[in-house]
Amino acid sequence: MLESVTLERRSGAGPVLNAASFVGALALGVALSLAVLVAAGVPTKALFEELVVQVFLSPAGLARTVTMATPMMFGALAAALCLRLKFWNIGIEGQLWLGAICATAVALYDIGGPLRLPLMMVAAMVGGALWILPSVLLKTWLGVSEVIVTLLMSNIAYLLLQHLLFGAFGDPTFNFPTSPVFDDAERLARFGWGDVNAGVALALVAVAVAALTLGATRFGFAARFVGDNPRAALALGFPALRVLLVSVLAGGAMAGLAGGVIVAGTEFRLTQAVGLNMTFNGIVIAALARNTPAWIPVWAVFIAGLNVAGASLKVFYGVSEGIVLVAQGVILLALVTGTFVTTYRVRFARRGLA
Amino acid sequence: MTIAVTAWLGAMPGFMAPLLLAALGLLLCERAGVLNLGVEGVMALGAMVGAAMSLAGWSPWAAMGAGALGGLAVSLPFMVAVIVFRAPQISAGLALAAIALGASAALGRGASHKPFPGLENMTWGGDWAALPVVGRMLFQQDAVVYLTLILAGLMALWLMRTRAGLRLRAVGEDPATADASGVDVQLYQFGAVAVGSLLIGLAGAYLSVGGSNIWTEGMVAGRGWIALALVVFAQWSPIRAIGGAVLFGGAEALIPRLQAMGVEVPVYLLSMLPYALTIGVLVLMALSKRARQAEPGFLGRAYIRQDR
Repeated sequence: MLESVTLERRSGAGPVLNAASFVGALALGVALSLAVLVAAGVPTKALFEELVVQVFLSPAGLARTVTMATPMMFGALAAALCLRLKFWNIGIEGQLWLGAICATAVALYDIGGPLRLPLMMVAAMVGGALWILPSVLLKTWLGVSEVIVTLLMSNIAYLLLQHLLFGAFGDPTFNFPTSPVFDDAERLARFGWGDVNAGVALALVAVAVAALTLGATRFGFAARFVGDNPRAALALGFPALRVLLVSVLAGGAMAGLAGGVIVAGTEFRLTQAVGLNMTFNGIVIAALARNTPAWIPVWAVFIAGLNVAGASLKVFYGVSEGIVLVAQGVILLALVTGTFVTTYRVRFARRGLA
Repeated sequence: MTIAVTAWLGAMPGFMAPLLLAALGLLLCERAGVLNLGVEGVMALGAMVGAAMSLAGWSPWAAMGAGALGGLAVSLPFMVAVIVFRAPQISAGLALAAIALGASAALGRGASHKPFPGLENMTWGGDWAALPVVGRMLFQQDAVVYLTLILAGLMALWLMRTRAGLRLRAVGEDPATADASGVDVQLYQFGAVAVGSLLIGLAGAYLSVGGSNIWTEGMVAGRGWIALALVVFAQWSPIRAIGGAVLFGGAEALIPRLQAMGVEVPVYLLSMLPYALTIGVLVLMALSKRARQAEPGFLGRAYIRQDR
């Protein structure tokens, strides 16, 4: 097909083209998403009010958005830290659930005395890292695709969560599958602004540490090199395996911490609904931030705003929350299709010369 | 005991068929070099469309056909993105999964939790169906089960014994060589992913129309991801996929059986079995050298003629 068109690989696009293709693809994705929302029954006039004013400009709405963006920053780090090394972490929700389970265990069994809250966060990170460990070991030892293993581990984690909620972690005084409510000492501090809590500070610190490590240390340089060209990195004596292991475990730990801040910062208990569709949200935010940690807070707020708006669209216009998922899928598809412009150069064959 | 085993084996094909259909669809995509991570969502959409059409009074066969077409329709943007614009296949596949999952939830709200008459079992076996142990498994299934098995055989013949099948395999294995010998790489990929999406949509529609006779959000429950692993297990061969689907379908069918027998089992831990089994099988496959060589050489990568 299309014999008169030929493609050439670019050796690297300039900053102008890069920015233009990103903005263009994003604009296209957003425009298509808005069209989907309108088709689903949201009045055109209400779009600006619901998607901008209510979620970013009103203080209460912004508080909801920032609250939701908090775990999303961790989720996006979980995707980006792995993706930098071409490791597809498609089990972010699984690591998140394990993090939430471990943090909840520390709270329910009253471990750690005065250090309980920090211990809950550490336990969340350990849980997330342990849950991603099999996939990275299987990939490096046996070449098993991490895509499938992380996905399946997510399904197993969800069943483990249910097993615990209907059993050991369940609240006997309550008919729903939830854990007992946490004590005050097991909750992250709030600032008196909606549900915004100390988790947001943790998230910003994590983003800063990731940005500095990747941007200004030997490890960060090695990570970039190993990600771009693993064979050359290995040949030049970079500890490619160790770099991969550390980055992926850090990614898993971030996903686990997302679970930790959800149970300790907003829910104050473990429920079946703490996953927040984080695998997909994390990957979309990482794609928007182009795997650069410093951009993650901006795009986490953007995607969180979309999700918060979705919840109110459901209430006011009866629009299914599935529509938000469609909108994000459309934006991601537009973004990845947009990389065509920066990866390839299109040439039209001159007719009559062949 | 015999009764329980008869019932278990009798229920197994109903679990096997959707896995096999989805795996055959994925196999076709992957043989053409396209990794389709949209499978879970496309199955969900097929299931929703099949249920909605059944509720609208369509016959089970028409409803399943509509589900298959729904699977194709939702996959079109993905096909254009990865085949024409060479978008990274993993991200594009996840985007497809999100779009299809979201669309099935949004469009299917009216069809949720409403039972409808679905596909009936065939009675062609007559008294044979009363045979102990294997009677129900062999003779009392719906037509889709039998047709899916036939389809697997036909697909194997087509892939391995026809010129077009050879070309399709070449496209996934070594597109540069296929291109040089005059095969239209993108056309074959379009065809493979289109037919693959139809089969994946049909697999989803069978879940609601053929299996549970009801649609609820999330009913695909990870079966798409298992089908993805099943293709690796089958070493990209349709015939081996039958064996894999029997194994995974059997594991799935075991859980409700044990519950029905009144065995006190930790349900959620036992439900991990198919997933844990899948990971175990992938490890075994990775240990085998022959299995590793079975993967289409260009799977998941973008081909442009100038790379030749």
